[in-house]
Amino acid sequence: MWTRVLKMLVSLYLPLFALTLFLYFFQKDRQINQLAVYQNKATTFKKNTFMEDSYTFLRDTHYWSTLNYPNDFDPMNKHKELMLPFINLIKKITDYDQFRFIDLNGQEIFRAVRYSQDSLIIGQLQNKKERDYVQSGLNLKKDQLYISQINLNRENGVIEEPKKAVVRTVAPIFTSNNQKIGLVVINFKVKRILDQLKSKIVNTNIFLLDKENNVISASSLPEDLPYESKNFTQDYKDILGTTFFPHETDTTYIANDHIWTQLNIALNHTKIPYGASQNDTIEVISPTNLVLAQETPPSVIKSYLQPVYESLLTFNFISVLVLLGFSYVYQKNRVQKEQFYLELKEKNKMLLKSKDQLQEKNVMVTEMNNSLEIRNKQLSDFNYLISHNLRAPVTSMSLIVEMINKEKNPETLDLLLPKLDQVAKSITNLTQDINEYVSILDNKEIKLTEINVPELIHKVKHEFTETLLDNGEFEVKQNFEAWEQLTYSKFYLQSILHNFISNGIKYRRKNVSSYIMFRSAMENNKKVLYVEDNGIGLNLDQHGENVFKLYKRFHRNVSGKGMGLFLVKSQLEALNATIEIESEVGIGTIFKLIF
Amino acid sequence: MHTKSNILLVDDDELYLFLMERTIHQISNTLKVGSFTDGERAIEYITQCTNEKTPLPEVIFLDINMPFLDGWGFLAEFKKLKPQISNKVNIYMVSSSMREFDKKRAANLEELTGYVIKPVDKGQLIEIFKTIYQENW
Repeated sequence: MWTRVLKMLVSLYLPLFALTLFLYFFQKDRQINQLAVYQNKATTFKKNTFMEDSYTFLRDTHYWSTLNYPNDFDPMNKHKELMLPFINLIKKITDYDQFRFIDLNGQEIFRAVRYSQDSLIIGQLQNKKERDYVQSGLNLKKDQLYISQINLNRENGVIEEPKKAVVRTVAPIFTSNNQKIGLVVINFKVKRILDQLKSKIVNTNIFLLDKENNVISASSLPEDLPYESKNFTQDYKDILGTTFFPHETDTTYIANDHIWTQLNIALNHTKIPYGASQNDTIEVISPTNLVLAQETPPSVIKSYLQPVYESLLTFNFISVLVLLGFSYVYQKNRVQKEQFYLELKEKNKMLLKSKDQLQEKNVMVTEMNNSLEIRNKQLSDFNYLISHNLRAPVTSMSLIVEMINKEKNPETLDLLLPKLDQVAKSITNLTQDINEYVSILDNKEIKLTEINVPELIHKVKHEFTETLLDNGEFEVKQNFEAWEQLTYSKFYLQSILHNFISNGIKYRRKNVSSYIMFRSAMENNKKVLYVEDNGIGLNLDQHGENVFKLYKRFHRNVSGKGMGLFLVKSQLEALNATIEIESEVGIGTIFKLIF
Repeated sequence: MHTKSNILLVDDDELYLFLMERTIHQISNTLKVGSFTDGERAIEYITQCTNEKTPLPEVIFLDINMPFLDGWGFLAEFKKLKPQISNKVNIYMVSSSMREFDKKRAANLEELTGYVIKPVDKGQLIEIFKTIYQENW
């Protein structure tokens, strides 16, 4: 039962499970794609913010480039007074970490370094002729700006502690008659914009790399520019993981459940507008372009898919429960149905069996009825025989006795007395005959044996001298092809055969070779014995009903008591056999014995 | 049985024949009684009578159970001869016992005048003869 329930459950659930899997992966795909779209948008937004911040720095720097400086600009000494409001301004702009003027020889002519939130250290001028940003700055034309890589600030070639990520912007400065006299160099602190870049709502990872795949900043690292401080591994793969592949163009891709977005931040040779006019642009010169990368790791995707996963799990769980219930009810129903059919079948079988038994009993009852009917007939015959045949002599006797009593004449008495003797004799004869008949009727335990009929006929026929002679006076013929053996009372059958042969001899026709023929046959599953002779025959129209009756004689010139066929019939009926006769005067008689 | 009989007895019981003859003679000396012990002989006599155009007995007492030809057989043969018979013949069926079956069968035969149960006593015979002969014994 449970095996069937489980089988059904599995067959019902499997397609559902397949559908669930399909739905899950479809949903997962959709969610990931959706996430990728969002991530792309978010990354673009961050890039734009970053660019805007950078542009702010550049515009800020450009401001210093648009001022008209004196021909012999000496901010530390001669033009110290002139510098005072500017120093105040520099102090207020907290993004400024250093502010310097450098002459065309690379020598600092002004240097302000932020010491704290609102104090600057002025002075301690250095020669920066060898530095990249100075050399690149000296090549700048009017309306060109230089922005350096993001670096850790170094003082005299050593990384300053605490570590400070900075970007340097450089712009040329000119006199009022457009004579280039030097550079303005501003160090901007970039921690703020890097932190902003790395800020996030969901648990994504954000990286900023340069074109050489050096990690500038990573949300997963506490420090910026790890490759410079050499505190961390320098290999970007260790930081970004193996699913990151550097791309030349902007892209968003999915690798092994990681969503990656890579956007190029190009600063070199970009033009940024400033002021009111569209034509007022400044060109940016930068040694490097940057790559902004954002990653959604599998854990985030997983947390995004969690509700889908959970709802599908719940759905599956409920489905299994419902299907299990359904399968159980269905199978239980089926089992009950099968049980019912089985019982029905069994009952049917039993009914058929009892029907057979009933039929058998019916046959038995019919047979019994038949034998009872025969028995009844025999009893009725017997009754008639007694009442008729016995009553006649008895009444005669009483009449004679009455006469004798009245008679005075002795001569008449002599006539009457012998009549009494006659009555007595006839009563004795009758009693004997009846006795023989009653012995047949009353024989309750007739001994049945298997009899070979042809053998018995052979034996019986030798009781008659007529058959012993070879002169063909009377012949007993046999044809026992259909059957030879018969279960019957041997004594009765012998008596029956004797009577037939005896009658055959008694009522044979003169001048023909007389015979009696015994022939076996099967009719309607019953053994039949035909007894055929070519004797004088019998007029059945006249005598038909009396053939088998007691004391019936039909041939005056042949001796007989009229008992033979009466006994034959009784002996046959005593064992449920029947007898029929066909006869024609002058041709012969056929008896048909049905056993 | 060459002289004409008034009454014919047909029965295989010889004692019965003897007793009936005696009883009839006690009633009347004028009635002639003839008898046969079976139906075959009786019908032969009837046939002979019709052939010789001699009148038949007025009364026949016929037994049912007889050898060679029984009472019913006799009646069947008698019926065949009836068109040639001129005088009225009263046939009485006589039996020591009458089964219902026999009674019904007898009632359906128009040749029969009546039936009598054995033993037939004197009074019964007187009654029968009275109706037939219209005489007072």
